[in-house]
Amino acid sequence: MNGYLDLAHKYQAAHKKRTRLSIFSIVLSVALVVGIFSMLDVFLKFEKIQVINDYGNYHLLVNNATDGEKEAISSRIDVKNTGTLVAFKSGSINGNQCDIVALSDNFAANMSMNLIKGNYPEAENEMMIENWAAEKLGAGIGDTVSFAFADETERPFVISGIFADYGGTKATGEPGVAVSMEAAAKASVEKTGIFLIEFKEQANIKKAEQEIKESLGISDERMGRNDRLLAVIGQSDHKAAVGLYQAGAILFFIVLVAGVVMIYNTFNISVMDRMRSFGLLRCVGASKAQIRRLVKKEGFLLLRWAIPGGVLLGMAATLFCCALLKFYNSYIFSEIPLFTISPTGILAGVALGVLTVAIATLLPAKKASRVSPVNAVTGNSEIRVRKVQQAGILTKLLPVESAMGIGSAAARKKTLVLMSASIALSIMMFLGFNVFVDFLHTSLKTTKPYTPDISLTSEESLSPDLYSQLSHLPGIKHVYGRMFGYVSATFDASRLTEEYVNEVGSIEVNAGGLFEAPEKSWLISYDKNQLKWAKTDLVEGELSEDTLNAQDGIIAVLQNIRKGVSVRTAELHVGDKVYIDTVAGKKPFTVMAVLRTVPFADSNLNLATFITTEKQYTAITGDSTLKIIDIQLEKNGQEETVSEIKRMIGSNITYLDSRQKNSEMNQTFFTMAVFVYGFVVVIALISILNIVSTMNTSVTSKMRYLGVLRAVGMSGKQLNRMITAEASAYCITGAVAGCILGILLQKALITQLLTSLKIVWVFPLVQIVCVFAAALLATRLSVIGPLKKIKAKSISENIGSLQ
Amino acid sequence: MNILTVQDLCKTYGAGDTKVEALKNVSFAVSKGEFVSVIGPSGSGKSTLLNMIGALDYPTSGKVIIDGRDIYTMKEEELSVFRRRNIGFVFQAYNLVPELNVEENIALPILLDYKKPDQQYIDELLGILGLAERKRHLPGQLSGGQQQRVAIGRALAAKPAIILADEPTGNLDSKNSRDVINLLKLSVERYRQTLIMITHNQSYASFADRVLSVEDGVVAELGGGAR
Ligand SMILES: Nc1ncnc2c1ncn2[C@@H]1O[C@H](COP(=O)(O)OP(=O)(O)OP(=O)(O)O)[C@@H](O)[C@H]1O
Ligand SMILES: [Mg+2]
Repeated sequence: MNGYLDLAHKYQAAHKKRTRLSIFSIVLSVALVVGIFSMLDVFLKFEKIQVINDYGNYHLLVNNATDGEKEAISSRIDVKNTGTLVAFKSGSINGNQCDIVALSDNFAANMSMNLIKGNYPEAENEMMIENWAAEKLGAGIGDTVSFAFADETERPFVISGIFADYGGTKATGEPGVAVSMEAAAKASVEKTGIFLIEFKEQANIKKAEQEIKESLGISDERMGRNDRLLAVIGQSDHKAAVGLYQAGAILFFIVLVAGVVMIYNTFNISVMDRMRSFGLLRCVGASKAQIRRLVKKEGFLLLRWAIPGGVLLGMAATLFCCALLKFYNSYIFSEIPLFTISPTGILAGVALGVLTVAIATLLPAKKASRVSPVNAVTGNSEIRVRKVQQAGILTKLLPVESAMGIGSAAARKKTLVLMSASIALSIMMFLGFNVFVDFLHTSLKTTKPYTPDISLTSEESLSPDLYSQLSHLPGIKHVYGRMFGYVSATFDASRLTEEYVNEVGSIEVNAGGLFEAPEKSWLISYDKNQLKWAKTDLVEGELSEDTLNAQDGIIAVLQNIRKGVSVRTAELHVGDKVYIDTVAGKKPFTVMAVLRTVPFADSNLNLATFITTEKQYTAITGDSTLKIIDIQLEKNGQEETVSEIKRMIGSNITYLDSRQKNSEMNQTFFTMAVFVYGFVVVIALISILNIVSTMNTSVTSKMRYLGVLRAVGMSGKQLNRMITAEASAYCITGAVAGCILGILLQKALITQLLTSLKIVWVFPLVQIVCVFAAALLATRLSVIGPLKKIKAKSISENIGSLQ
Repeated sequence: MNILTVQDLCKTYGAGDTKVEALKNVSFAVSKGEFVSVIGPSGSGKSTLLNMIGALDYPTSGKVIIDGRDIYTMKEEELSVFRRRNIGFVFQAYNLVPELNVEENIALPILLDYKKPDQQYIDELLGILGLAERKRHLPGQLSGGQQQRVAIGRALAAKPAIILADEPTGNLDSKNSRDVINLLKLSVERYRQTLIMITHNQSYASFADRVLSVEDGVVAELGGGAR
């Protein structure tokens, strides 16, 4: 030994197990910080690509920019690329309705308009179309098609190129057409010119926007922003984005606290256990400062191993998330390398690791230095005097071994509080994030049980034969049909939203309070299955085919579709009366359920949306033929099934393929969910490992005492129960506190933020059950190691062990 | 009647260079109600012998029969129950449960047996041990001698047939030591228990009915004590 500080080495060498445990917990917290920073870093990269894919790669836009303005903006030093997009009202191609745009060649890639074959259209009579549309029209490069803008004057156009499918247009069945800029300039129909601007990586976009506005005198109304992209690159001052940044900062802080708590806990226990030896050192003349230095030295010795380990582990976690996403969609994420090293993440991890250890050692070091030399001489220093009468109570209520286990958890008040807090924290995060994921799930319209892969519609009607043929086709999972039509419906005028009243101008109300319906309402029929599936969107009431039929019930939908746009036109509630003009005259119906949305789009100007049963639908409209057949495909052999379906249907039936759109939606959701749940998993892991390490230390430090209990006659089972009771005390307090706080948080989040989306709070029973199952699992897990350790030794060895 | 029979007991620790033969073919018997003291130099194997008798460790070979039962053939669970009902330990270090008060520590073997402690008997014990005033105190609040008396109380609580004591007076002054030995003797006589006690002190050994000497793992009979 060269100096007293070598004691730190000696101690760690003599207590290999405990040292390993401490290293392990530091590794974890460093990994956590590295992982979270890197994950955030990578997440933003992924999300940026996702947003660019979904919304386009531009930051700002100017409506109807003049050439002078374009010139001035393009020549700015911080601008990377600009382009003009001209949007038209829908026209037709070979008699099929189509979406028309024109886009500058150099900006096509920014808007994910990727040429697959041929050339970008240049001449006045050139255009390119989507791949699926080309197949459908049977048109190839060089072919001439008959094309018309919204003015319906047909002109011959040559297809110069074919570009990759857009999920959205594929699902609606309207082909996307991009005409040349020449053609766009010459076309004398209603059009909107949008000037799109992509800035360079480091540009300060907010400032640039201000400068552009001022120097060119462009009004606020003419400027637009790609808020989602700005949010991802951290340059948005949109309210939602700022909220997100704040939430991120809070989460980050929580993770940091969890890491500090964990290391602190390990250190604290280790120092508490050695009060006696510190006392001894003080007896032989160590000063307070020396003890403090000794404990700190110990802490930093641990860092030597823990930092590299943590960095590696954190990188591995990030790698896992990347791999998951890349596996899920290798196409759009192909640019991101599988192994992303984030220097920011690593640096942050190292810095925070050192800082955390510094904080976490400081307090125990102080405590250790305060140990009085007397502690060395009088034995039990760990347990300080409690209220005396408190003692006998537990053993009267519980079997003695459980009482002792809980007692020893309760005796370490600080550990108990820290442990429960860390467990509670992760449960709160889980429950809180759940709201977020739920919200994403509803708002992104990801695939639900009822989302069709393929829909068949027809102006006339679909024959029952086709329906039964499809039901028997191999490769098809579900087939379900719907009828829909437009009926005149009216209800209490006070239920109409202000938004709607403003939109239509004036509403005539008759003496009974009912209004004269200025527009028709959309009526859809659901079969039993569809009613069952709709439960996830139920806001009020009950969905039962039988009651609906028996009591003339009807289902109201909050989000009404007007020309493809969701608008809330009426606030109907259960019990309201709706009067519909049926084939047998005006008839009242009662609202028995209210749904949040329907998963279909419609291009009519609907007053409201109602759902009814097939039987009622026929009674109302006198019609009993299906208008739409939705098909869900099996996972395998989809292409064969699809071509089989195409063969079965005639030319009067429109075939709509929603698979690409669905998977794009899913993907957006998935990218978010992977990272959101990644955070939760990491936090949960910390808590679990925290309790594992606490139990380990707790048992290791009590080896001798446990040996004595065995000598006194405690059986192996009782020992198990005692240790489990101790672990449970931590877990259960944590779980109960976490659930209560988590539920409150959930309720607050939902009522504060999501009421407008008509998401209602329900008791999260499933999650709570999961939480408790996980807590029990953690308890079990945490006692396996320690129990094994005790049982590996004979009782006399345990009693003889130096602790 | 022999309450305890030890047959050809051997215990070897380690192997190769670090091999220690702590017990070599030990055989003896103790009859009910006897007070046996075990003496011998440090490292001779006394604690090892006591641990074997109490089944706190397993021998390399040989048998220990208590009350007609071969204790090493019992399963762990059965052995625990047997131990808490029939054997009481007193250690050199008091080894009390720090979270339990004096009374609970004493009643521990009974509580572990899921029985209700006989309050009258516990009070009687507390009285004999001179701990009646201290029964709600925690071990940390007691002196060394008091703690050792609690440990003895714990060993006696279940009225075990055999009490094994490993240097119960090792940490105590001579007055306290004499009190502790007297207490053990009193209890043994009153409840007709058997006591096997390791001691370094020749004069305490003389309280015993028999003295066994251990030297280098070999046990020899030294004959009766003072009586
Ligand atoms: N777990 C063990 N591993 C290896 N050797 C051991 C172990 N326990 C005891 N020994 C050895 O066995 C021998 C007997 O030890 P034991 O503890 O029985 O001695 P003792 O007679 O009780 O001594 P003391 O009077 O000092 O307590 C010693 O040489 C000791 O080194
Ligand atoms: Mg000994």
